[in-house]
Amino acid sequence: MESKFTEMYQKESADEKDGACGQVADLLDSVVDGEASAEEQSFFNNHIEECVSCFESHQKQKLLKGLISGHLKRVIVPESLALTIKAKIQETI
Amino acid sequence: MSEQTGKQLSKEEKDARFEAELLPVLDPLYNFAYRLTLDEDDANDLVQETYLKAYRFFDYFEQGTNAKAWLFRILKNSFINEFRKKSKQPAKVDYSEVEGYYNTEDVEGDNGVATTTDMRTESVQDLIGDEVASALNTLPVDFRTVIILCDLEGFTYEEMAKILDIPIGTVRSRLHRARNSLKEKLEKYAKTMGYNS
Repeated sequence: MESKFTEMYQKESADEKDGACGQVADLLDSVVDGEASAEEQSFFNNHIEECVSCFESHQKQKLLKGLISGHLKRVIVPESLALTIKAKIQETI
Repeated sequence: MSEQTGKQLSKEEKDARFEAELLPVLDPLYNFAYRLTLDEDDANDLVQETYLKAYRFFDYFEQGTNAKAWLFRILKNSFINEFRKKSKQPAKVDYSEVEGYYNTEDVEGDNGVATTTDMRTESVQDLIGDEVASALNTLPVDFRTVIILCDLEGFTYEEMAKILDIPIGTVRSRLHRARNSLKEKLEKYAKTMGYNS
């Protein structure tokens, strides 16, 4: 999947990676949750265009969020629950 | 406090507003309760108690504000105060029984998983859903909570901080640790499904 795509990129030097990659790792959750500022998002996007491992981390984080939001099934609410709640409210008032 | 919070509503007004603003949140609230308690009866009790409390304090709810976040906060507090001890007992979940309560039509959203009628694809997606649910259910309740609020219910970090009564920084770090923990639990399974390179 995405790994084949990212293999085409050359890895950055270790020195370059440490600082910027650390910042990108800190931003990972904010970015996938849509909570990063425009400036953070721009820094993040520029970095993952150049850095294979951060690009892959981003893909995996998006995948994890997608697994939860897309595959976790919702439990059906018992049909009687709304009626029970209304009845209990009237009883206790 | 707004003008509205100080105003005494007639019973009819209160009932009408309560029904219009709070009852539509029943579905996500029940799902949240179920994911916290891992038990249908407890989820039922917790949701009922939440609505009773909400009705009692409804005069303090500002019309037009986030009803969902307000109810989630009440439910979370009730859970911590009264239900948490129960949830620390060994899980009483019978997965084969729970499976019957899953709503298979409500699973797909706009987050990248296309709806399909292909039976094999559907069964694979069901399998993934079960695996994700099982992994999620094994997380500590604080971790489970932030993942549900963020990834399932789509609350912002700020809303989560208000619901959970914790600073946004704590929301971020808790979510980060929760996802790492979930990732570890799902890693082996994800590899077998070809999701992990």
